[in-house]
Amino acid sequence: MPHDWEASRRRIGGTIAGSPGIDRIPYFPIVCEEIICRISGKTFRELLSSPKIYGNAAIMTYEFLKADSLAIPTAYAGPAEALAFAEANSKEDTIKWSDYKVFMAKQGAICKTEEDIEKLEIPDHSKISLWDTCLSAVDFVGKKTRYPQACALGIWSVVQELRGLQAYRDMRKNPDLLLHLCEKVYQSQMDLYNLFTERVGPSPTIFFTGYAFNKHMMSFEDAMKYEGQFIKRLQKETKAKIMFHNCGTSPYFDEVCDNLDVFAINGSHPLDIEYWVEFKEKHPDVTIVGANIDVSRELFSGTPLDVEKKVKENITHLASGGKYAVGPVCCLPWGVSLNNIMAIPKAIKKWGTYPLQT
Amino acid sequence: MNDEEILDKLRNSIIEGILEEALDFIHKAIDANIDTKQILNEAIIRGAEEVGVRYEKGEYFLADMLLAADAINDCMDVIKPKLVEEKHKSPGKVLIGTPEGDLHDIGKSIVIALLQGQGFDVVDLGVDVPPEKFVEVAKYENPDIIGISGLLTVTISKMIETVTMLKRKGIKAKIVVGGGILSEEACNYIGADAWTKDGWRGVKLIKNLMEDN
Repeated sequence: MPHDWEASRRRIGGTIAGSPGIDRIPYFPIVCEEIICRISGKTFRELLSSPKIYGNAAIMTYEFLKADSLAIPTAYAGPAEALAFAEANSKEDTIKWSDYKVFMAKQGAICKTEEDIEKLEIPDHSKISLWDTCLSAVDFVGKKTRYPQACALGIWSVVQELRGLQAYRDMRKNPDLLLHLCEKVYQSQMDLYNLFTERVGPSPTIFFTGYAFNKHMMSFEDAMKYEGQFIKRLQKETKAKIMFHNCGTSPYFDEVCDNLDVFAINGSHPLDIEYWVEFKEKHPDVTIVGANIDVSRELFSGTPLDVEKKVKENITHLASGGKYAVGPVCCLPWGVSLNNIMAIPKAIKKWGTYPLQT
Repeated sequence: MNDEEILDKLRNSIIEGILEEALDFIHKAIDANIDTKQILNEAIIRGAEEVGVRYEKGEYFLADMLLAADAINDCMDVIKPKLVEEKHKSPGKVLIGTPEGDLHDIGKSIVIALLQGQGFDVVDLGVDVPPEKFVEVAKYENPDIIGISGLLTVTISKMIETVTMLKRKGIKAKIVVGGGILSEEACNYIGADAWTKDGWRGVKLIKNLMEDN
């Protein structure tokens, strides 16, 4: 049976709205380039050779995984933004390409010195051919499936790519310089958002990668200073609703929901399911996408039955009343067994079909 | 200023991550003929430990750890020739790198600085290191511990490849994998001897492994 993207859209929409009447809990995996390469049998360069090839390969992969989410993974505030900055500043040699996964930037090489930051040119995304391909692929996917596409942004994820470890020294020694870099990244993200709107259409929701919000990395105050304040500005300027992603092991989800206006959070930590039960009680309006299904655990080294148990645990504790989507975090890695990956949609069908059996 | 005061000031400047001050006091300590091992143990190692304690308590974050690590590194550079001269025995040798396909180095950099601050010999292979390179250098350097640090979930496959190759080639060093992506299950699956999710825990783990040897 062909994949029904309209049904997927209804599942996601109904879950976020907390409205009854959807058939089952949605499945929201994060699919990275290497899984698309693995499923489609194409190299990453082949994917980027045309928006249609990339778009079709992405659709094929999400359909194969029986997912209810759908996106072009490269189009987010990670390596592709580093590449945009690299091109805009004639530093293409800082990018390393791979055959079956996304390219990467040498961390900190684009903004190695203070002068690099001062002189940093903000990319015009319409002139970066990679972004042209990616946004065309996003548009292709949206038009072909009629599944709404969301713009994916972030600040600290890009700052780390550009400034690397030095960003953390700046935080104590030269905070104004670091804020200056954050501001430039913000301007770049707004350029991208505006281009997305022009090329794909309005993005009423933004998938925001909030890497600053991790207790291992910085205090919540610093996270707000170097990323949170920009989220607030972004929302003010775009009026978009934020789905907040953090794949760290100590995310500030609770504090984020207390201080920022987010409609959904996406992560896999803390691992204690009781945290998530309490989170749902405290933030009943926020949709949990994920909870404690961490890709480096059951999916990697367990069996399909282990994966099923984990999905069941999440559904049992969190799905009642909606506002919950199953989502392993972060990206499904190359080496994960397909049997384990496919155990997720099977478990959702078994335990997550309404009325819930758990 | 007596010896104790100099060492206190040195330790505190390391904890606070004030590099210039730390360098000033380590030179004062040397000029005052304080025993090099005493400088290492009472100022640098104790300072690094206090930084770790504050990190564990949630009082310190990556930025604070990094500044302290910078101070430790520079102080170690100052006293290293004297330690060699005095035939100071290192607690162990650690070979460390980020596996092929991963260019992130934050965790690795913290671990290296803190290990050096604990007197370890550290060989840094850098980032994006192919499994063959780990094997080649391990054969030459004969480390006690091999650390493989990665940030990305996609790195796990390369960690498996690296550990498999190290074991097949008969490298006897204990292998520690590190990174926020890891878990006990992933560590077992990779075939490593131990795992850590952050830099400070990694340092403590390596110290424990060396004590067990």
